[in-house]
Amino acid sequence: MMMKKNIHLEINGEIKDLTVDVNRTLLEVLREDLNLTGTKKGCNQGECGACTVLLDGKPVSSCSLLAVKADGKSIFTVEGLAPEGQLHPIQQTFNEKGAIQCGFCTPGMILVTKQLLDSNPSPDEQEIKEAISGNICRCTGYVQIIDAIKALSDVTKK
Amino acid sequence: MHLPEFNYYEPHSLDEAVECLNEGQRGAVVAGGTDLVVALKQRLQKPGFLLSLDKIPSLKGIKSSNEFLSLGAMTTLEEIIKSSLIKERFPALSKAAREVGSPLLRNIATIGGNICLNSRCRFYNQSAFWRSANDLCYKAGGITCHVTKRKNYCASTFCADIPPVLLAYGAVVKLVGPQGERTIMLKDFYTGEGRFPNEIMAGSREILTEVTIPFPPAELKSTYYKFRLRDSIDFPLIGVAVAFEADEKGRCKGIRLVFTGVGSGPFEFRHAGEMLSGSELKEELVAQVAERAAGEIHPLKTDLISPRYKREVAKVIIKEAIMEAGGGR
Repeated sequence: MMMKKNIHLEINGEIKDLTVDVNRTLLEVLREDLNLTGTKKGCNQGECGACTVLLDGKPVSSCSLLAVKADGKSIFTVEGLAPEGQLHPIQQTFNEKGAIQCGFCTPGMILVTKQLLDSNPSPDEQEIKEAISGNICRCTGYVQIIDAIKALSDVTKK
Repeated sequence: MHLPEFNYYEPHSLDEAVECLNEGQRGAVVAGGTDLVVALKQRLQKPGFLLSLDKIPSLKGIKSSNEFLSLGAMTTLEEIIKSSLIKERFPALSKAAREVGSPLLRNIATIGGNICLNSRCRFYNQSAFWRSANDLCYKAGGITCHVTKRKNYCASTFCADIPPVLLAYGAVVKLVGPQGERTIMLKDFYTGEGRFPNEIMAGSREILTEVTIPFPPAELKSTYYKFRLRDSIDFPLIGVAVAFEADEKGRCKGIRLVFTGVGSGPFEFRHAGEMLSGSELKEELVAQVAERAAGEIHPLKTDLISPRYKREVAKVIIKEAIMEAGGGR
C-alpha cells in the first residue's frame, strides 16, 4: 500500500487540499490530478525546463520536485497567467515575435520570463540569457525568445 | 518513468531524523532531491524510505561569526548566489554555485546535496532500460566495471562543483549520527572510491548538517573554472578551484588547486605551492604548473570526452584559473 500524505497548496491563487502518493512528482500531480497540462513533461530528469513552474515565485523543475515537498507553498503555472481565451502580454509578445514554434518549451520559457521581469523589469541580454539558461528550445535557436523578452522589457521601461 | 514506491518521513528535529534513519530498513536522506529523484526514476537507488530534511529549521541558512562562515546543509544554491557576503569573501564559492545545473535546479538544490552528490559514469547514470542491455556494472550492483573491465572496482567520477572550492578554502563538515555529532575536514568525508564516494554512502547512517569555512585573509584570491560542453545545465567534465595568496610584493605565498571531474573523489594537486612559492605569477611558470598538474590527473572515459582531451583542457583551465586568481591579467 503506497504511503499517502495530505498537502496544502496554493495553485494559481486557489487553495487546494490534496491527498497524494508520496512518490509522485509535482509535475505528475499538476498534470494528472489537476488537469493542468500546460506544464509539460520533457526529459523528466531536470535538464530541459519544459516542466517549469513557479514555486513561491521562483522557477523550478517540477519533474524533479516531490509533490509532498511543495506542501505549504504557492505554485504558479502557465494557466494562471491570463483568463481563459485571453493572452498575457508575455504570451502576446512571444506570439508576435515568433518566439514559439512547436510550443513545447513555451510554458517554461514564459514562466521564467515572468519571474525575470517581476524581479528585474529591464534585464540586459546577459541577464536574459542566464534566466532562460535552464530551458531548452530545439526550434527557435533562442534568438526570437531573447528578442521577445527584450521587447517586453522595453515595454516595462516606458 | 514514475518513481518507485517508498515511505516518506519529515521529522521536525534532528534527533528524530537520526533516530528514524537508524531504525530497521535502509533509507535515503533527501535534501532538495534534484539528483536523488532522477536516480530513483532510473532505479539506481531503491531506498525503503526517504527522510526529508525540509522541516528541520536548524539546517537552513547562512550564519557568520568573526572567524567562520557556516552554511546549513539545506541552504539552497540560489541563497548562496544571492549572498553578498559570500560573493565578497568567498567569490569562488559564489561562482561555483552559479555554475551548478540551471536556475531551475539551483532554486531547489542544496549545498548539503552537492557535497553528498553521488559520483557519475556513462554506464551508470542511465535508465534501467538502457542499462539492461549490458550486465550491471559494479556500482549498479554487478561485478565488472565497464570502463576499466576490472572486477569489484568502480571508476565513476566525482563531479560536484562546490566541494573543490570548499576544499580549497579548508572547509569542515558536521555529521550527526547515532553516536552523536562529529566535525571532520571535508577532505576526510570523501572516500575516493567510485562506488561509495563519501562516508554517508559508505554506510555511516549520519546526516550532514552543516559546512563551515574559515574566513580567509583578505589577500587570498580564489576562483573556480568549469569546463563542459554546454554553458549551462551540464555537470563539469573537469573543474578546478584555485585559492591563491600573495605577499605584499605580489609573489606567491601559498596556493591550493583542487579538481573535480578527474577521478573518484576530489583531487588536490599538492606541488603547486613548491613550484610557485616566492615567485611572481609569470605565464611561463604557471604553464609549467598546469602541465605538471595535468600530468598527475588520471581521468578515465566515464563521460563524453576522452581522458587525453580532458588533460589538454586541464592545462588550459588550470593556467587561466591561476592567472585570474593571481591577478596576472
